[in-house]
Amino acid sequence: MAYQVSIFLENKTGHFERVTRVLRANKINIRSMTLTHTASGWGILNLLVDQPERAKEALQENGLSAALRQVLVFGMDDHPGGLDEILLQLAQAGLNFLNAYGRVLEDGKKALLIVDVEDYEAALELVAQNDLLPLGDEVVYGN
Amino acid sequence: MYWEKEFETLERAKLEKLQLERLKNTIRNAGNAPFYKELYQQEGVTADKLKHIDDIRQLPFTTKQDLRNHFPYGFLSRPKQEIIRLHSSSGTTGNPTVIFHNRHDISSWSNLMARSLFCAGIRDTDVFQNICGYGLFTGGLGFQYGIERLGCLSIPAGAGNSLRQIKLMQDYGTTVVHAIPSYLGRLYEVFQAEGLDPRRDTDLRLFVIGAEPHTEEQRQRIEELFGVKAFNSFGLSEMNGPGVAFECSHQAGLHIWEDAYLVEILDPETLEPVPDGEIGELVMTTLDREAMPLVRYRTRDLTRIIPGPCACGRTHARIDRIAGRSDDMFIIKGCNVFPMQVEGVLLKIPEVGSDYLITLENVNGVDEMIVEVEVRKNWFNGDVTRLDRLSRMITQQIRDEVLAKPIVKLVEPGSLPKSEGKAVRVRDNRVLDTVKI
Repeated sequence: MAYQVSIFLENKTGHFERVTRVLRANKINIRSMTLTHTASGWGILNLLVDQPERAKEALQENGLSAALRQVLVFGMDDHPGGLDEILLQLAQAGLNFLNAYGRVLEDGKKALLIVDVEDYEAALELVAQNDLLPLGDEVVYGN
Repeated sequence: MYWEKEFETLERAKLEKLQLERLKNTIRNAGNAPFYKELYQQEGVTADKLKHIDDIRQLPFTTKQDLRNHFPYGFLSRPKQEIIRLHSSSGTTGNPTVIFHNRHDISSWSNLMARSLFCAGIRDTDVFQNICGYGLFTGGLGFQYGIERLGCLSIPAGAGNSLRQIKLMQDYGTTVVHAIPSYLGRLYEVFQAEGLDPRRDTDLRLFVIGAEPHTEEQRQRIEELFGVKAFNSFGLSEMNGPGVAFECSHQAGLHIWEDAYLVEILDPETLEPVPDGEIGELVMTTLDREAMPLVRYRTRDLTRIIPGPCACGRTHARIDRIAGRSDDMFIIKGCNVFPMQVEGVLLKIPEVGSDYLITLENVNGVDEMIVEVEVRKNWFNGDVTRLDRLSRMITQQIRDEVLAKPIVKLVEPGSLPKSEGKAVRVRDNRVLDTVKI
């Protein structure tokens, strides 16, 4: 059970910094992130942080649209082909992503793949059937 | 060269005499409509009290709100079986503005329309392509009947589908086009994309443009791009639609047909007449409409009378192009839009807040309506597709309401001006010589 913090942002100068300012003031550490942009002038910032619940509340208190969103996190080896290995298994399981990003846990050894899907519960069932266990949040948020 | 010399060049004194006579008939006839019957009894208005056309100033005004309040039949002064057509404003919130016509009204409107087209230099030898929505919108059928009355070959092309419009022009040798000015920029782009030059590859010679505010510069640009003369048309659905006022070949203001309409220009605050040449609100009375006469209708359009006679010999007054509105209505893509309509749509969508900002902008030669709305904080869950769907749904619903397709932009909560007090709801960044009163 891991969460990312998703923030609705207009694509305007300084709006991203408004988010990081709040996180900085609240001593929240960012582990990984993605920023998407749509043609309609807005985008979504996805953050993997050490304290998602606190991050969401602090951002909301500062007038931002922030939501917690469940993500699936898988471990992989940090070497060439490591991502392909896990993606192959997920593809065989029939899993489709909305968004995905990664983070290195231990250089040259271990990395994480973070996957955002449309229907979290259905996806969880699908990976469980294929013996692909997502990682728990202590691994995901920790150092 | 006149369509109806006897009316168009009538001496002012005789014209005013005709107006008084027609005004009296109008007041008598209006007394049959439930709305005017009650109003005139209450105010003691009778046709016999009118001795001079200036006596119209003693009569009460009619507003758009009156039309809405007495929807649908409160303004009918003739039995329903006599009515043969209605035209109506768009809208799903509140009562639309509906105008009814009997056989006489359609005939008289068609004639005014033919007179207008003739006045701009269009003849029965022309091939006339009407690029304009048909249906409840008056620009389609209104022009159609006038084109036919004049005797041109009419092509009722309807709006949109630029490739097909170009094909029609080439297949039938179109010489005259009626369209809203902002569409013509788009049409020219399509000509270019097809490797065509309208000056070389068509027989176009004359455009009629209207239903949308535009500057003299925009007109000249259209004339240059297409190698045509472009003439200004003015009308409003409450006064039938197109055919109310039209430019003659001198392009020096729009002749407003005073045998059919009594024209006043009033200060919108004091409601007193302003001198010729000064801008005020156009207030109009129908003089030749039977089924639904309107007396002293406040159009909310701001314009001025151009002083002095026109070189063309027509004696009917000329009005200047519309300089703005005395209310918050704006026109986009030929559609009349009140900010309240957009607000009404947004209020019914729980995913967004009630604050909004409409920006009117000219994007690559096409006028666009950009509607910014705030996504509600507790609805947002981080899903991009859901936001995308919301944006499309709002676009569709506003389009259904006002008929013009908006560009919807979702913005962060709290970023728009708050609804308390006098928030600015519309920003018009189009280049217009508008005047604020």
